[in-house]
Amino acid sequence: MKSLLEAQKISKSFPGVKALSDVSIHLAAGSIHALLGENGAGKSTLIKIITGIHRPDSGELLLDGKPFHFNGPREAIAAGIGVVHQERNLIPRFSIGENILLDRLGGSLLKPIDYDSVYQEAKHWLDLLELDLDPRTQVSQLSVAKMQLVEIAKALSLQSRVLLLDEPTASLTSHETVALFSLLKKLRNDGVSILFVSHKLEEVQEICDTVTVLRDGRNACDSQPMTNLGRQDLVRLMIGRNEQIPNADLRDHSTAEPVLELFEVATELGHANINLTLRKGEILGIYGLVGAGRTELAKSIIGRYRVTQGDVLVNGQKARINSVADAIDTYSIGYVSEDRKQEGLILIHSVLDNASIPIWKRLAARFGILTDKDVTAAISPLVNMLEVRTPSLQQLVGLLSGGNQQKISLIKWLAANVHILIVDEPSVGIDIKTKAYIHELLRKLSDEGTSVLLITSDLPEMVALADRILAMDQYRVKGEIVNSRNYDEMSEKIMGYIHSSKG
Amino acid sequence: MNARILRYLQSDWAGPFLIIAIGGGAIALLKPTFLSAFNIQVLLLAISVNAVIALSQMIIIGIGQMNLSVGAIGGLAAISFAGMMQVWELPPLIAAILALLIGFGGGLANGFIIARTGISAFVITLASLSIFKGINLGITKAQPFYHIPDSVKAFGNTVMFDPIPWLVLPMVVTVLLVFYLLTRQRVGRYILAVGGNLHAAELSGISVKSTIMWAHAISGILAAMAGIMLVARLQLGQPSIGDDWLILSFAAPVIGGAVLAGGHVSVAGTVLGVVIVAIITQALVLFEIDPFLVQVVLGGLILWAVGINRLREVRFQKSLKRI
Amino acid sequence: MRFYQTNEFGLFALILLFGAFFAMATPGFASVFNVFSLTRIMSIDIMIGFSMMVVIVTGGLNLAVGAIGVSAAMACGWLIEAVGLPYPIAILSALAFGASLGALNGVLIVRSGLHSFIITLATMSIFFGLMIYLTHAQAFRVLVPEFAQFGKLRLFGTVSALLIVSCVFAIGLSVLYRFTPLGRQMLAAGANAAAAELSGIRVNRTYIICHALSGALAGAAALMVVARNGAAIPSMAGHLGQDWLLPAFLGPVLGGTLLMGGRVSLLGTLLGSALVTMLTNGLLQLRVGEFWIQAMLGAILLFAVLLDLARRSYLQRRGIY
Repeated sequence: MKSLLEAQKISKSFPGVKALSDVSIHLAAGSIHALLGENGAGKSTLIKIITGIHRPDSGELLLDGKPFHFNGPREAIAAGIGVVHQERNLIPRFSIGENILLDRLGGSLLKPIDYDSVYQEAKHWLDLLELDLDPRTQVSQLSVAKMQLVEIAKALSLQSRVLLLDEPTASLTSHETVALFSLLKKLRNDGVSILFVSHKLEEVQEICDTVTVLRDGRNACDSQPMTNLGRQDLVRLMIGRNEQIPNADLRDHSTAEPVLELFEVATELGHANINLTLRKGEILGIYGLVGAGRTELAKSIIGRYRVTQGDVLVNGQKARINSVADAIDTYSIGYVSEDRKQEGLILIHSVLDNASIPIWKRLAARFGILTDKDVTAAISPLVNMLEVRTPSLQQLVGLLSGGNQQKISLIKWLAANVHILIVDEPSVGIDIKTKAYIHELLRKLSDEGTSVLLITSDLPEMVALADRILAMDQYRVKGEIVNSRNYDEMSEKIMGYIHSSKG
Repeated sequence: MNARILRYLQSDWAGPFLIIAIGGGAIALLKPTFLSAFNIQVLLLAISVNAVIALSQMIIIGIGQMNLSVGAIGGLAAISFAGMMQVWELPPLIAAILALLIGFGGGLANGFIIARTGISAFVITLASLSIFKGINLGITKAQPFYHIPDSVKAFGNTVMFDPIPWLVLPMVVTVLLVFYLLTRQRVGRYILAVGGNLHAAELSGISVKSTIMWAHAISGILAAMAGIMLVARLQLGQPSIGDDWLILSFAAPVIGGAVLAGGHVSVAGTVLGVVIVAIITQALVLFEIDPFLVQVVLGGLILWAVGINRLREVRFQKSLKRI
Repeated sequence: MRFYQTNEFGLFALILLFGAFFAMATPGFASVFNVFSLTRIMSIDIMIGFSMMVVIVTGGLNLAVGAIGVSAAMACGWLIEAVGLPYPIAILSALAFGASLGALNGVLIVRSGLHSFIITLATMSIFFGLMIYLTHAQAFRVLVPEFAQFGKLRLFGTVSALLIVSCVFAIGLSVLYRFTPLGRQMLAAGANAAAAELSGIRVNRTYIICHALSGALAGAAALMVVARNGAAIPSMAGHLGQDWLLPAFLGPVLGGTLLMGGRVSLLGTLLGSALVTMLTNGLLQLRVGEFWIQAMLGAILLFAVLLDLARRSYLQRRGIY
């Protein structure tokens, strides 16, 4: 089939990281093409290259067989390529109609904008999606799901020949998804080429004709028809192996003393009735879908947000954790953030400076003075132990690869010798080798007495590592299971808890 | 009916309006001369010029930046206006148009550098403020231009019909044009779009660079306009024009509900903010309070106004995050 | 990065170059009196630069440096003249006063969550207004003779003693940023407040301390002006203290302190302020119209930020930065 839009052997590097390596994709007219891959596999980068936000280092982009490169979103739109990104991109104080037709408002120096016709046209596109919304409504008053649908309406209004949708159903109800899918099918039949990025394999299998899978910045497969691929095949392409769990021993911590306990805890962010017990040397997993409130719970435990009701006990004593500094200095709790680049690390500072933040006060305890020599003495052994690949300790952390950056995040807490470590999405955007290393490290730490609270959306990772698993949904704990390391059994039980109505 | 009243009360200009009504009323009760024709005229003269200054900054606040060179551009345009009439003997209208062009050029230069380099507007306009002020001083050697044509002097000081001075006319026209720009013209909507969410605006195909340049160019024209008006009122081409515009140029828009992060400004609120400042300044004189305290009051007003705006903004951001 | 590629070396080279040029171009420049006068102004500009630098490091701004400085200096003058305190105590009190005004800024910024620009714009007005009101715009001229004496003191017969004061502060600040936890915390909080907070740094407290430090340094700068003038004059920093804004930024920006925060160069700020003062002085000696100096300074600032941008993207492309 002739391709409408092609990417051929695209490569793209950013400082310290090779995002894409010889990646190809072929989008045919009148098809819905799935783009799959784990977090950090390169999907977003590929989309940004197609829409002109990034320039590829090498490779070619072809539209209708002719090479192109865009210098920005305007050119992409003009060429007939529409995008709906993962994050919301609307002007909050503008109306729905104005947002949809933002680049086509009309009017000139002598003529005012004809808002009546703007709203009329916007209504047309909203109706296509069966959205009963008044186009004059300010976008800020909509729910996140409705905002996403407005953006889809906006992409449709461009009447693009190529439509790129990045996680379009992330916030939608099943009813809204059904309406969207029937519309997408209609567009496909009209000859539009649709790229569908999603984590929800069931949806992908339902609606997509062809699939491209990216893994670690390379093609795991390129534009294959969906007909012969089952769920396990897709998963194997995405993660490079069957969903196999390494044979970790089962451990029993039921007699270990509790190091962290939450009794009927509520937080300022909306958690309620949270009960949790973490025992010494244990890895307790917290599983949930996006938006379940796990990161927010972790941040409340470490004092970033307020606990409004209930008790938090550390080592059996009631704890008042009013700030993150308290959590670290008084209660020896550390937190590895899920957002490594914005919250976990200071990208413009060195490896040495990043890894030593929590121990500065301790190192300077005697005279109030600390030198780089003192810091190096404390950090260097850990950097070597974790086999961090860096030219020197002065290297800016922003120039390291994702895996090495994550190691620095961990070193920070190893240096601080925390007794309780909360790890939030430790393997996002990390190469397989480092991921395995981190798993071993967490296991070793817990064997040596550090208690770990593991938050991850990667169910295989959860089943491989956690001793017990908590299921969370909508800021409540829905259930608790002891891990048997049987993936199907755990998956079924956890999902069962999450989708149950009682809390 | 109740819903409508509530909506009006929540608008940006309701608060300032109430303050003016209550405060102005109280002052009038205590000092009846406040409402005399002469006093109203003095108030209107001050408001006319200050409103244009405030609008000049308001546009830049709308795009989410700040323009420290508003006063310097205004001052440069002012002495150019006066100088062109005195030294080159140009007719006032031509001189005014040329001075507006100087304002346009200065603003455009700001916008160009900010847009192309991505360096913060604060630093760029801090540098340009010194450059424009420097050019001003270089030309005038700190000496005013004294020979202002009588027609200009009259325009700046006489009344259209009692007690409304002529100077109100350009102010009203400017206010209406700016309002029209921000509500019904693409450039104005794009300014607010870029201020509201730069990334989203860019992804929608708006040229952020040209929008920034337009915003600063317009700001420059407005600053120049204020400078010209001030020359008419002061009857002098004073090199120090603009030196004290900075605080006022921020106070009025902020009192009027402007969000400093960009994307939300109120023309009506800004004008009312100017009125409040003018009334307070006058009241201090009427009540024989040390005029130096005006600075303290202005600073306090800014703190209070941004505090309130911040609360409203926090509530607005929270409402964006719910499911 | 080799030393000759650094910003500091470039500034040092420029100082030598221009110094040599001015000395050859006009006889007055290298005269004993001019060098003394030059070093005296330089010391003050350096302190003003430091006072802004400590706030820029945390990613913020302090528009009130001039207003706080003048208020502290007038407080000192008042304490000596009206209250009769011995001058060492008055000086220390003035510095403490400056620090508390700065701390007030910090508290307002932290509690309101507003940008430091608008807060310090407002407090600049408030502090200056109150100061003018309380002093009735009158100067304190009957200060103890030690002030003017110190202002006239020369080392080696040419260099102003005030320069030593600035250098002492420079060394103190260096120690702060390199050898104390607090200084490192300031840099971390300035580079990425969220990451710093989650690593256990009390970011709000750090910001307040930075602003307090800024206020104290502004006070010190103003006291040096008093020493130079022999009197505490309310207009020493212009209307609302605005006159200090340009030198306050020129030093740090030329010196390579990022406006985004998280990086600092003491030596760079010092050399940057020194270079600007020397350029100004040299041009005045060359009889370049004094009215064009201000335009030139603005152009230098513009040039400095553009150059910094160019340098950073060059280094980024080479993978060094």
